[in-house]
Amino acid sequence: MINFENVSKYTLNDITLNIPKDEIVGVIGASGAGKTTLIKLACGLLAPGSGQVWTLGKDPVKYRRKYASDISTFIVGTPLLNKEDTVLQGFETIAAIYNLTGEYFRRRYSVLSEKLGFAELSESRVKDLSLGQKMRAELGAALLYKPKLLLLDEPNVGLDENGKSALCDTLKQGADGGMTVLLTSHDMASVSRICTRLAILYGGKLVFYGSLDNLRSRYLPINTMAVHFIGRVPDLDDLPLRKYSLEGNTLKLEYDSNHITAAEITALILKQTEITEIGIHKPDLEELIMQIRGEK
Amino acid sequence: MKDTLHLMAVYTKTTAKAWFQYRVDAVLRSLAVFLREATGIIVIWFTLLKFDTLGGWDIYEMLFLFSLLFLTYGIMIIFFTGLRDFGSTVRDGSFDRFILRPRGLLFQIIFVNSDWFAAIGHGGLGIVLFLISAGKVGIQWNVFNAIYYILTIAGGVLIQGAVFLLLAALNIYLLLTDSLKELLYWNMRRFAGYPISIFNRFIQIIMIYVMPFAFVNYFPAQFLLRKSDMAEYPEIYMYLTPVIGILMYLAAYCFWRFSIRFYKSSGN
Repeated sequence: MINFENVSKYTLNDITLNIPKDEIVGVIGASGAGKTTLIKLACGLLAPGSGQVWTLGKDPVKYRRKYASDISTFIVGTPLLNKEDTVLQGFETIAAIYNLTGEYFRRRYSVLSEKLGFAELSESRVKDLSLGQKMRAELGAALLYKPKLLLLDEPNVGLDENGKSALCDTLKQGADGGMTVLLTSHDMASVSRICTRLAILYGGKLVFYGSLDNLRSRYLPINTMAVHFIGRVPDLDDLPLRKYSLEGNTLKLEYDSNHITAAEITALILKQTEITEIGIHKPDLEELIMQIRGEK
Repeated sequence: MKDTLHLMAVYTKTTAKAWFQYRVDAVLRSLAVFLREATGIIVIWFTLLKFDTLGGWDIYEMLFLFSLLFLTYGIMIIFFTGLRDFGSTVRDGSFDRFILRPRGLLFQIIFVNSDWFAAIGHGGLGIVLFLISAGKVGIQWNVFNAIYYILTIAGGVLIQGAVFLLLAALNIYLLLTDSLKELLYWNMRRFAGYPISIFNRFIQIIMIYVMPFAFVNYFPAQFLLRKSDMAEYPEIYMYLTPVIGILMYLAAYCFWRFSIRFYKSSGN
C-alpha cells in the first residue's frame, strides 16, 4: 500500500519501508524522530527531499486529490472537525465533502459514536470538548468514509485506557474489513497491542521493522517462567534452559525464546507431573527501547 | 454539480450557526463594526460642514462614494474571509486539511468560513450610506443605471477579492504578507473614500494602476454623478470596473494555482 524507497526528508535519513495491504503498522520513536514527517510523506502533504514515496501505487503529492477518498489522514495539528461546529455538524460536513448518502451516514455515525464513546457529545461544540473527548470524535471523523488506507499520527494522545482499547478494537475491525493502517506513537506498550508490524525510528533512521515476536526474539529473548506443580519434581536436564531453581512446589525457569518456547517446556513438565499454575514474564517493552538506543 | 451545491449549503448553514450561536453577542459585534467604520464618516461629515465641498464633491456625493466602498467590502468578505485570514488558516492546520480532501482548495477556503460580523457591519453601513445619499446626488435611476450599478458592485467585489487572493498566494513564499496587506490594501483604502482627483499624481497612479480602488468606487461614481474632475481621466475608465475585476481575478487565480505547488507543510 505504501512504499518508501531511500527516502530522506528533514530528520528522516534514507528510509526504506514497505507497508503491505491489510496490515496495521506502528511507527515508534521519540519526539523529533520523524514520525509526523513520515505520515505527511505518505499522504502527500510533503514531498521527499530525495528518494521516492508510492502510496496506493502512485506518487501521493501528484495524486493527492484523486485518492483523497481512499486515504484518511489524522495528524494532531490538523484537526478534521471545525472547532466552532458541534460534533454532529462536523460529521455532517465531512459526509457532504465525501458525498456519503444520508442513510449510510446515519448508520456509520451511530456505530462509530457508540464504539468510540462520543454519542452523548453529538450536540456539544468541538471547542468545548476535553482533549480525550476531542480525540475520540476526531478518530471517528477519520474513519467515517471507510478509507482503504488510514494514516494516524499519535492517535493515543489524550486517550484513557477505555479510549485506547476502543481504538484498538476499531482498528482491528477495520483491518479485518480490508483497511490498511499506518500509525505512529511514542508509547510502545499501547501500540504493540494492535500492530501486526512495528517500525522503530531512532535518530531519523529505521532501526527495526518486523513483527512484535521478531522484535522480542532479536532484542529481548530472555523470558522467565514460574510453574506451580503437584507431585514429583520434574526432570528438566535435557532442556536448553539458561537456569532453573526450585522453591517448594514452584519451579523458576529462565529461557531464551529463540531456543525453546513456553509450550515446549510446559509439555515436557506435564508429561512428568501435574501443573496447577503457570506464570510467564516477558521483559517490558519500554526496556527494549532503552536497549535499542543503547546499541546505537 | 449537485453535490457541490449541497456542500455549499452545508458549509453556509454551519458557519452561520457558528457565528450566530450567541444572538446578542452577534448583534453587538456587528454593530461595533458598523459604528467603528461609521465614526470615520462622521468625522468627514463635520469637516465638510465647514468646507461645503472637497474637490468639488459635496457631502452626499462623498457618502455615495463611501457607500460603494463599504458595500463591495461587505459582500466580498462573505466569500473571502478565508483568504483575508490565510496566514492563520495555514498556521492552525486547516490548509493541510483542505489539501487532503477531494474538493477544490479555493472552494473550501471560500465556503468554510465567512466573517458575518464584518459583512453585516460594512455591508449595512454601505446600504445606509446609499439610502442617505442616492436620492440627493441627482441620479436619474433607470434600468440601464441599475444594471450598471449591479455590474460595478460585482466588479468591485472581484477587484478586492483578487487582491486578497494574490496576497494569500504570496504568503506561500513570504510569511510576512500581513504588513504588505496593511500597506497595500488597508492604507490605500483610507484614500479611497475621497475623490482621487484631490490627491497628488503619485497617489492617483497607485489608486488607478497598482491597487485599483479608483475602479471600485471613484470611476463608477463618476459614471452616475458626472463631476467635472472626470475630465482628467480617460472616459473609458468609467466602464471598465467589471472587466478589470474579471481580469484581475483570473490573473490572481492563475498565480494562486501556480503558487500552491510550492506549498510546504511543516515537519511536525
